[in-house]
Amino acid sequence: MKIDPLFILTALLSLFKALPTTLIITVVSVSMGLIIGSAVALIRIYKVPVLHRIATAYVMFIRGTPMLMHLFLIYFGLPMLIDGISEAWGLPFQSNQIPLIGFVFISFSLTAGAYMSEVIRAGIIAVNRGQIEAAYSVGMTTAQALRRIVLPQALSVCLPNLSNSLIGMLHASTLAFAVSVVDINAQAQIVAANNWKFLESYIAAALLFWGMTVLIERATSRLEKRINNHNRGGVA
Amino acid sequence: MIKLTNISKSFGKHEVLHQINLTVEKGEVVVILGPSGSGKTTLLRCINYLEKPNEGQIEIGDFNLDYKQANKKDIHNLRQRSAMVFQHYNLFKHKTVLENVMEGLVVVQKFSTDEAKRKSIEMLEKVGLGTKLDAYPSQLSGGQQQRVGIARALALNPEVILFDEPTSALDPELVGEVLDVIRKIAKEGITMIVVTHEMGFARDVSNHVVFMDEGVIVEEGRPQDIFGAPKEERTKQFLKRITSEWAYSI
Ligand SMILES: Nc1ncnc2c1ncn2[C@@H]1O[C@H](COP(=O)(O)OP(=O)(O)OP(=O)(O)O)[C@@H](O)[C@H]1O
Ligand SMILES: [Mg+2]
Repeated sequence: MKIDPLFILTALLSLFKALPTTLIITVVSVSMGLIIGSAVALIRIYKVPVLHRIATAYVMFIRGTPMLMHLFLIYFGLPMLIDGISEAWGLPFQSNQIPLIGFVFISFSLTAGAYMSEVIRAGIIAVNRGQIEAAYSVGMTTAQALRRIVLPQALSVCLPNLSNSLIGMLHASTLAFAVSVVDINAQAQIVAANNWKFLESYIAAALLFWGMTVLIERATSRLEKRINNHNRGGVA
Repeated sequence: MIKLTNISKSFGKHEVLHQINLTVEKGEVVVILGPSGSGKTTLLRCINYLEKPNEGQIEIGDFNLDYKQANKKDIHNLRQRSAMVFQHYNLFKHKTVLENVMEGLVVVQKFSTDEAKRKSIEMLEKVGLGTKLDAYPSQLSGGQQQRVGIARALALNPEVILFDEPTSALDPELVGEVLDVIRKIAKEGITMIVVTHEMGFARDVSNHVVFMDEGVIVEEGRPQDIFGAPKEERTKQFLKRITSEWAYSI
């Protein structure tokens, strides 16, 4: 069997069709992950009664089980839950009105939230306690101190790890094919099977993922430079 | 005026402050002396509610509060009446010098940006840092950082500024510039409570000296009395030890 370099290009062109799907899955799960992750991190750091136990259990469960399992649990479990509630309360809503990609959004957001909460938690803990005390001392409320002083510094600490999470979620978005959502990887499979050129199709998909990863890394290092302006040493 | 009544504070079983009573008149410069672990920092932190006393009351300006019954709003209120200058400066490290001073004015006291800027520059000029407005804390020497810390406290116009060993983290050659700034603002009639081990400074800026040991105020009075003729044995011992250390280090 010989490799057909030109077909890599052909495959690449047809993979672009699925690019928006991969991007939207990644963007939604990482943005939701950031929100869930920040909330969970704060709940655990401040030991909010009751909630912090739930948050801890959530993080432990998600990190202790494979991501594909989360997708299946949501995909098979959520419809039962929704239809059950709908029936009990006499609501017209049916689970089959949810598009397939909706299950992917929900499950991947939950996955990203748990992993990112650990990253954010580490970032917040790394901010010196003196910073929040200084904020209190100038009269800020806890919310003001977190928003204006602690979180921005935590963000700059955990930016490299958040970027890793983003790359991780980009790559993991390929699992969406398990519930018949056509992302780049699934599209590669379709192209491969139609033309009987598997290696070429997957090489094309790999190149596409690699390209996006490089872009993310570039953007991160640029952002890092800007945010870390204040860490320059020396005397001005 | 600031009046502390029966302030007690324990960490677990360890009682660090035991029924402290202290009155500070408006415009007074109070120096708190005492051996390590006597509770000086903890007392200052209670005034700023960075530490919650187990019991006691505080009266500060027109505001008073019972620590046992304080709710969020009271705490917020109390904190706005004092400002702390920290041993390790604690400048907001992601903000420039100017932003550090403006922060409280804009976010807490709701100044307009222009007004806050004007006032902050004025304060920074007062501490001799009018040319460092756009520097980040990491680009400043310790002495400069501490002067920013003082400008930040000063700008808020609090009832009292609390200094916790403001020079003890500094290289010896930088101590003078910070003490000079504190002297200067002391002369302006701003109420201050200063914890320090700088005896010379304590003697010439303060008009009220408090000696603490093991969580109680052992003795207090005018500096000439405390330094010249201490009544309590513990005070005498402490002063003798610290002045001999001081002579020794010269
Ligand atoms: N957060 C804390 N948890 C437990 N114990 C504490 C805490 N903060 C202070 N202490 C204890 O309280 C006592 C008084 O501490 P404090 O820092 O007020 O003393 P200090 O007079 O400021 O001493 P120094 O001159 O060394 O700064 C010490 O025994 C200290 O170990
Ligand atoms: Mg201390």
